[in-house]
Amino acid sequence: MFTNGMFFALLGASIATALAGFGSAKGVGGAAQASMGVLSEDPSKFGKMLVLTLLPGTQGLYGFIVGFLILVNCGVLGGDIPNVAQGLAFFGASLAIGIGGMVSGFAQGKAAVSGIAMSAKDDRNFSKAMVSVTLVEIYALLSFIVSLLVVITVPSLKI
Amino acid sequence: MKKVSVVALREDRKRLLEHIQDSALMQVTKVDKHRKGYTSVDVSSQMQVFERNVTLCENALKILDEYSREKKGLLSSFEGRKEVDPDEIGVIASNSGEIIEICRTINDLNKNIADNSAEQVRINTSLSQLEVWQNLDIPINTADTKSTAVFIGTLPAEYTDSQLSQIIAEENPKLEFEFEIQYSGNNLTCFVLFTPISQKKMAEDVLRNLGYSRPLTPTSHTPSVKAERLRNKSKQLLKDSEESIEIIKSLAERREEIKVTQDYFRIRADKYNVINELEHTKHVFVIHGYVPEEDFEKLKKLCERVSTCYIEAEDAEDDAPVKLKNNRFAAPAQNILTMYAAPAHSDIDPTPLLAFFFYFFFGMMFSDAGYGMLMVVAIGIVLKVFKPDKEMRSNLKLFQYCGVSTFFWGLIFGSIFGDAPAALYNHFTGSNLTMAQILPWPTLDPQKDALTLMVISIAFGLVHILVGMGCKFYICFKQKDYAGAFFDTGLWMMMLVGFAVLAVGIATTPLMLYIGAGIAIACAVGLVLTQGRNKKGVGKVVGGLASLYDVTSYISDLLSYSRLLALGLTTGVMAQVFNMLATMFGTGIVGSIFMVIILIVGHAINIGLNALGSYVHTMRLQYVEMFSKFYEGGGEEFEPFSLKSKYIKIKEEK
Repeated sequence: MFTNGMFFALLGASIATALAGFGSAKGVGGAAQASMGVLSEDPSKFGKMLVLTLLPGTQGLYGFIVGFLILVNCGVLGGDIPNVAQGLAFFGASLAIGIGGMVSGFAQGKAAVSGIAMSAKDDRNFSKAMVSVTLVEIYALLSFIVSLLVVITVPSLKI
Repeated sequence: MKKVSVVALREDRKRLLEHIQDSALMQVTKVDKHRKGYTSVDVSSQMQVFERNVTLCENALKILDEYSREKKGLLSSFEGRKEVDPDEIGVIASNSGEIIEICRTINDLNKNIADNSAEQVRINTSLSQLEVWQNLDIPINTADTKSTAVFIGTLPAEYTDSQLSQIIAEENPKLEFEFEIQYSGNNLTCFVLFTPISQKKMAEDVLRNLGYSRPLTPTSHTPSVKAERLRNKSKQLLKDSEESIEIIKSLAERREEIKVTQDYFRIRADKYNVINELEHTKHVFVIHGYVPEEDFEKLKKLCERVSTCYIEAEDAEDDAPVKLKNNRFAAPAQNILTMYAAPAHSDIDPTPLLAFFFYFFFGMMFSDAGYGMLMVVAIGIVLKVFKPDKEMRSNLKLFQYCGVSTFFWGLIFGSIFGDAPAALYNHFTGSNLTMAQILPWPTLDPQKDALTLMVISIAFGLVHILVGMGCKFYICFKQKDYAGAFFDTGLWMMMLVGFAVLAVGIATTPLMLYIGAGIAIACAVGLVLTQGRNKKGVGKVVGGLASLYDVTSYISDLLSYSRLLALGLTTGVMAQVFNMLATMFGTGIVGSIFMVIILIVGHAINIGLNALGSYVHTMRLQYVEMFSKFYEGGGEEFEPFSLKSKYIKIKEEK
């Protein structure tokens, strides 16, 4: 049925971008709601609120980059058309950042909401809030790095 | 830090305090319990006056902003405070009375406008109530005549003429009446009803049963006249409000003076706040406080110059506030440190290390020569043109240094606005070059050499962590806690080095592998033997073994540095994406216009997103991975008694 792995590669690109983006969208959306509540009381906090709101946004970026690198390596924006096994490998690689990014996006969004509440009470809490929120991100990062290493090595794999 | 007490004559109090405030050399401490023979002077009533004036100015400025917005440039938030000559203070002081009057006027006018608009609402309600009566040609308050009783009011249902006469007749067939319906609709019937005065009681009963009520807007004029009057009044109010707004707008030109006056009162309130905290006797007063050692002579000279005084100084105890001193290169990072916590007495000041690693890691994550150049140049211009205040200046400097590092990392990664040079060259010539082919120096492409870069990132992480632990070692050593230094810190440092040698050995020669493994095992044995030393019995062995479990936390710390690769890559790939989008529209004129727009917008987005990411994650690496190894924090920052103004700063006397 499949003479090459293009379908799976593209499926992978979509999954990486969409799931990670889903996680970030939900995370940033929740954080933005909370920060707008704070800003309605004190507009001068905009800069700090913006930082906390954007923190859960990186997952979507990672997902997008993995998606993009798949496109670059699978013959759409460059590279050679993959065989079925390589296509499946691309697909497999996308799951790491897709799922890891999505779930960590949710979690980081929740942490960001609490961080916003905390630094709304006292400006001095800001750096503590920021660091605590970034603690979540390591897991998105690890997923990203796994996806990335696989995507980069797939074209040279003899499978 | 020195603890000082300045004893001076009361007649010099004003002059001395003013000079100390201007010089910002000394932090004044509050005396909780006065020594015998000393009392405090209560100046809180004056202070309240000043604070009230500050609020008054504040409100006036807010009102001015509402009606005549201050024209501000996009970059005006960088602008520093206005410089004021010391001699001008006298002028400001003598004008302050007038300015406060103006602020009062503005506040009163604003209140007037608010009152007027509340009145407008009431008028509009009355008007809408009168609307149903507009055809009535007698006043709503029309009284009974000698022979006729008059009922003007509403019933809570809709009736036509015939329906109304029918239900009244049903209620009481004896009642003689005449009526006219003014309005019927919306569950409401407005009517006028006449009966012979002799039947007034009867009519009242009937109407009450039907749910009669009198109109809400009684008036002795006909409704149309009343409505006209209300409309006129409303117009008048509107005009009045407009006039008030005009006056406020015309006062907007005094805005600068109001700001200056507000600062004047703010400074005075601060000064009186300090007076409250001093010890007084009949003739002298005492200021207690802290002064940095290097400034002590300066303070002494200053005090002796402006007053007759005696200064006592001693070395400060451990809980004294801390003043950070750093050179030009490291000073901008002080803010990053104090955002975490000011160093406690037992800490060393880690700012120089923090600064170096901050610039280094930020550059590695942002890693684009074009963006770095842009940061350096743009911040340079802002510093030159706007002359920002100290704090803003130091924040900008921080990013300027980060920009330099970003520039160099960009060169190493072969990234100048992403792959813009190659992409544009290929776009216009149709060739197929890569950045590595264009740049004359060898580059490290994060996309192709991701694994190499990850190893490099973790190696930098190892160095970073070792430096942090080195600080701990130094602190322990300085406090003569040799066991803590060698066993708790030294052994772990050696162990990490051992692991590093081992890792190198895996890649190269078995000899290194054996050496590394040997070091690691030796350290592990050492840890098992020493880590339980404060426990008893079996605890000694268990404690020693349990401490080996800490190795997991070191591994997760090291892995955390893989973000250096991830964020570095993100910047490059995003830039590449925008370059690709920009060159998709062909080489024609329209295509070129699209290209320029996409390039500008795209790279602006990329800078915004990734500069933020780099800043946040660099900070995290410092706070979580490095500071956790040695930094206690929790000290108090040195906060001198100074001019805390919002809009002006006093020029220093030369």
